Amino acid sequence: MAQDVLNALTLGSLYLLFALGMSLAWGTIGILNFAHGSIFMFAAFTAHLVSEEVALPMPAMIGLGVLIGAAMSVLIQVLAFEPIQRRARDHRKAELQIIVGGIGIAIIPLAIAQRITKSVPFGYSGGTFRVTTYDLGFVRVSNIQLVILVAALGLAGLIGWWLRAARPGLALRAIGVDSEVATMMGVDRRRLALLTMAVAGALAGLAGVLLTYYLGSIAPESGDAFLLKAFAAIILGGVGSIAGVVVGAMVLAGVETVVLVNTDGSWTPAIAFALIFLMLLVRPNGLFGRQEVRRT
Amino acid sequence: MNTWWLSNQILIQSTFISLLLALSIQVPLRAGVFSFAGIGSYAIGAYTAAILTIRAQVAPVVAIGAGVLLAAVVGYLLALLVARLSGLYLGMATISFTLFLGVLATNGGDLTGGATGLFGALSTLTTEHVIAITVVVLVLLAASERGSFGRRVDAVREDPQLAVSLGVDVVRVRRRVFVVSGALGACAGGMNTLLRTTVSPETVGFHLVVTALTIIIVGGAMSWAGAAIGAVIFTWLPSILQFVGEWQLLVYGIVVAIAAVYVPGGLLGLLQEGWRRMRRRGRRLPAEGAVAQTQAAAAVDPEKELAALAAPTTEVRP
Repeated sequence: MAQDVLNALTLGSLYLLFALGMSLAWGTIGILNFAHGSIFMFAAFTAHLVSEEVALPMPAMIGLGVLIGAAMSVLIQVLAFEPIQRRARDHRKAELQIIVGGIGIAIIPLAIAQRITKSVPFGYSGGTFRVTTYDLGFVRVSNIQLVILVAALGLAGLIGWWLRAARPGLALRAIGVDSEVATMMGVDRRRLALLTMAVAGALAGLAGVLLTYYLGSIAPESGDAFLLKAFAAIILGGVGSIAGVVVGAMVLAGVETVVLVNTDGSWTPAIAFALIFLMLLVRPNGLFGRQEVRRT
Repeated sequence: MNTWWLSNQILIQSTFISLLLALSIQVPLRAGVFSFAGIGSYAIGAYTAAILTIRAQVAPVVAIGAGVLLAAVVGYLLALLVARLSGLYLGMATISFTLFLGVLATNGGDLTGGATGLFGALSTLTTEHVIAITVVVLVLLAASERGSFGRRVDAVREDPQLAVSLGVDVVRVRRRVFVVSGALGACAGGMNTLLRTTVSPETVGFHLVVTALTIIIVGGAMSWAGAAIGAVIFTWLPSILQFVGEWQLLVYGIVVAIAAVYVPGGLLGLLQEGWRRMRRRGRRLPAEGAVAQTQAAAAVDPEKELAALAAPTTEVRP
């Protein structure tokens, strides 16, 4: 029982790391990045390629994943999302184009990774870090689980505090409420958007590397599955709310674990979809969402 | 022609089926409804046709028709459920509806054949039937894009509030769009199952969403013709791209990304733009020598020039 709770918390933390950046970008600068899953996978994949050449310790691998993720995210923002937002006639058109553009871009890293790995899962056996498990009597916890839990909850707290208390955070929230008025108040929308996308990409890269350590190996296709889980977590908690994403990710992981433990697991993928659908019907703003952040 | 027809039968069939599938997304999009329910209807149509054909050996018309009816009813009920949602939220709700159906098919036991799916749905459906059905659908859709109904749909897309104030029943248009989208998707799914004789959960997954979206984005989202262009390109592109071998998927991704970012109107938009420019050039030439005065006057008045372009039949040229 305690073991299941710990596993659910670890899974929830991974969902959280992944969904945090997406929720941040969606709730503030209005970009729902469908290529987030590809960034996540490709950052982990690049770290894998490097670890094949040089045996790196875990912090270096994480740093590498974070850098690659941030760089990819910023690149996509500059090359795709900025031109779309500049050209689109209205907000709704831009939203649709950003989704489709994201779906198209997501294919590119996936195609490269699939081509190189031939769709075989990859891991970090070349690195120096080894997963060790500590037996605490009532529960077994591994060192990587501790890293994941601390990283996810710490970063969520940090970002939540930064949005609430720091001046750039205030500016970013202002963009989320009304980007035109925020620009008139002297907010540099472009720079903040780049910063947000960099943070989102870095979180995706971090989640990718940690997931690979946790599972031992991941397949190039695992980005898509995570993307849908992240939607569920975000919709459940409410777009743009950091507390909402934390609760959404944990609830999703909890329900999934309960179903996985008590059934043969074939219904597990449906939980995320059912949660999205029911939540949108009952409370479209999510558990913690506010009306003004809703973008329709 | 005949050997070409026989050797490319599969590609010809899938061109028309992916066209119908793309239209099931394009029709809602034209009314400003961002719904992926058409892909879910594809699954409904595919499984209904397979189950009816395997268990009851009914004629293909009945098998596909039953799927179309069922999907239209489901589409109507879904429209009632998600009436409050719009934009991205509607997209998310309908995408989860679609993917949920995939999991449902996996867990359907004997009825849906579980993860392996259903086999042996043999029928008398031929390529000619598929083409005939598609042509009928295209004629109906082309008619719906014209006249007062077409304008009403345009109004619902561009400005729902304005449309309501002009007496357009926006809610009804939206519900109809869901029903039509469901019927189109189910028709595509049913025909595909009967032609391939099998259906499995993998064939009705997320990749269909990507396929349908890319077809209408690259082709052009605002008309059936755009979807037709996109369907032809994306069905035949893989066989043309054979020379890039394993990098095919990469080229595909780059094409989609560039089209989505830099060519928002799609290829159809580009063609229309080019056509308009050509016509404008053609019209200016005869006016040049004879009546330079009027031409100059028309040129400084862009409003008048626009009006002249928009209504060529009523325009009086000296």
